[in-house]
Amino acid sequence: MEDRIVRFIAALRASGVRVSVAESQDAWRAIEALGVGDRERFRLSLRATLVKDADALPTFEELFPLYFGRGTPPLLDPQAELTPEQQQMLREALQELMQQIAADLQKLLDWLLNGGGPTQQDLEDLSAQAGLDDFPSMSPAAARRAARRMQRLLGWDQLGDLLDQLWEALAEAGMDPETIEALQGQVAENQARLEEQLGDFAGQTLRDNAVEDAPRHKPLNDLMDRPFGSLSPADMDVLREQVRRLAARLRSRAALRQKRGARGKLDPKATLRANLRYSGVPFEIHYRQRRLKPKIVALLDVSTSMRPVAEFFLRLLYELQDQVQKTRSFAYIDHLEEVTPDLLTARIDEAVIAVLTRLPPGHYNTDLGASLRQFEARHLDAVDHRTTVIVLGDGRNNFNDPAADTLGRVSRRARKLIWMNPEYPAQWGTGDSDMPVYAPLCSDVYQVRNLAQLADAIDRILV
Amino acid sequence: MFETVQEVRAALAAQKYIATDEIATVLFLAEKLGKPLLAEGPAGVGKTELSKAWSAVTGRELVRLQCYEGLDESKALYEWEYAKQMLYTQLLRDKLADLLSGAGSLSAAADRLAQEEDVFFSDRFLLPRPLLRAINSDAPTVLLIDEIDRADAEFEAFLLEVLSDFQVSIPEIGTIVAKQQPVVFLTSNNTRELSEALKRRCLYLYIDYPTLDEELQIVQLKVPDLAPQLARQAVETVQMLRQLDLKKNPSVSETLDWARALVTLNASTLDPDVLDNTLTVLLKYEADVERARRMLSRQQGGNGHGRPYR
Repeated sequence: MEDRIVRFIAALRASGVRVSVAESQDAWRAIEALGVGDRERFRLSLRATLVKDADALPTFEELFPLYFGRGTPPLLDPQAELTPEQQQMLREALQELMQQIAADLQKLLDWLLNGGGPTQQDLEDLSAQAGLDDFPSMSPAAARRAARRMQRLLGWDQLGDLLDQLWEALAEAGMDPETIEALQGQVAENQARLEEQLGDFAGQTLRDNAVEDAPRHKPLNDLMDRPFGSLSPADMDVLREQVRRLAARLRSRAALRQKRGARGKLDPKATLRANLRYSGVPFEIHYRQRRLKPKIVALLDVSTSMRPVAEFFLRLLYELQDQVQKTRSFAYIDHLEEVTPDLLTARIDEAVIAVLTRLPPGHYNTDLGASLRQFEARHLDAVDHRTTVIVLGDGRNNFNDPAADTLGRVSRRARKLIWMNPEYPAQWGTGDSDMPVYAPLCSDVYQVRNLAQLADAIDRILV
Repeated sequence: MFETVQEVRAALAAQKYIATDEIATVLFLAEKLGKPLLAEGPAGVGKTELSKAWSAVTGRELVRLQCYEGLDESKALYEWEYAKQMLYTQLLRDKLADLLSGAGSLSAAADRLAQEEDVFFSDRFLLPRPLLRAINSDAPTVLLIDEIDRADAEFEAFLLEVLSDFQVSIPEIGTIVAKQQPVVFLTSNNTRELSEALKRRCLYLYIDYPTLDEELQIVQLKVPDLAPQLARQAVETVQMLRQLDLKKNPSVSETLDWARALVTLNASTLDPDVLDNTLTVLLKYEADVERARRMLSRQQGGNGHGRPYR
């Protein structure tokens, strides 16, 4: 049991759930307190101590039955309710049948009709034969495939015919139809349970293998330099985590920098209070803390050309909104829509999907100029002298009017206007790109193709 | 104190708190292991209520710390009472003169004064805020740190010492160790990610919206005046509203408010008029109300009783 819990924790870690040593210790103490007698209690005590993130709960629920069973009952013994004569009939019919078939199939038939079920050794032999160790993935689909392979090795496919033969033989031998029917029901139930056992075993074996093979750390530095568009889903997960960390770190760094930075005005109240202990002689001078309250307005291009990176930028905005309270986000293609509420209310994945489906990509329909004018007409109040405006887009405008004067007015009103473009600077100005028109109006223009560049750019926004 | 999970559950039920098996188990573990309990979940599912019920069950005082942006140590832990210190210094001036009168030199006087220094930096002048109150209390307490996700990350870091060792450091006095270890509840609405370090120190409980039967049980317990038939209809409607893609889902507390409103209005069925008048108790955004109205009227077209099709 202990070994199993340790392996379960390892599997959780391999699936990306953070479990610290302290937490696994808590799990042991919780199990001590509640015991392992009640399966449900046991599950809850592991869950409360090991999983600290609502997002990780499904992973836990998926893994738990693989390691501690679904609580599937053992196979039934179909012969329990038979009279001695009927048992004799069954045995004879079986013996006759057994002589014609392969050893594996004999074993299977034996399990189903005698209710024994496979031993751990049986299962391990079977998985070795099925080559489970060489399975490349540990996804549920792969586990199903592996279980299927184990079933085939047992001769599962011939089972139907074989059982039909058996029932016929029993009927000929003079067993009454009701008993045969009851037997059939129980064997079918056993079949289902055995299938489930095999499935669990296959899933668990694949997990264990994956844990052994799992590389300890993903090569992050490599990821930092790869363009957003060329990332696999697994890479995306790592990146998402990085963005979250990045945002949190940037915030504390900004706070630190502000603390160390230039001091503000004298704070008479705090000074008086601090110097009461020196009977009012001002030894300690306190200054009014300048609170850094950055405001951000972000305009995100989600058109076809930007789709590969749009999801990523949306996640960035989501995190940014988490960190900087006064952030307003807008998305545009041919028109502009505020997406702040989407990003505020929903959880991150839902929010991203919601925004991307609300603004479906069209065919050559980007109109940044119109979107900018719309922004000026409706949302200009969002921009004031404390606001940093960030435009995330490639500036490809389908030869529409770029509305540079509008962007100029926004820029003059804001503290800073920053443009982040995923394209290489060499591509700016080619084709329908209006970057050369926009660039002079911005305080800063960055090429943001990968995480390293992004970190660099954000760092400068919060200053 | 409680030996089994069932006892915990029964005790909570006696305080009119319907706990699922999961809530009771995690609470039992928190009590057994002496660990803080971090409850997350949508707003209004009874996270705060749980700690109140637990304080009532155990008869311990509930000390509540409501978090907000900019909350700092002086508001959460302690503050020196400067005014009182000043006042005492003034009033004791004569006494101090007496004390110092016999001293031969300046340094002798300073030494004498130094001996009395503790008078001014003692518990007497310490204004305890919730955290210190919970730790310093002679009787065990229930400490509720509400909506921790609203506080700054720095405050979270500051909490770590309190949560893992149940002690706080005050430079002038020293370290104060809890006389009685409080039971700590933290709640979070998940508006931002909490730090790993904080999560590591807590047991985690995710409270989701209750199922239809659970919610019905809650409504019947808290609003017994509502007719059972109507209660079921009301809860079914709420559960259905949660399936819609609303800006803000109706919470359990709003279901209860609605149930009370129905009792007050003396409603006997959920007909369109009643729905129209009371829907704003349940939904707080105009867009949500519109959407719910459209959906409900579509369904009422069928049977005319406001009873949703199943």
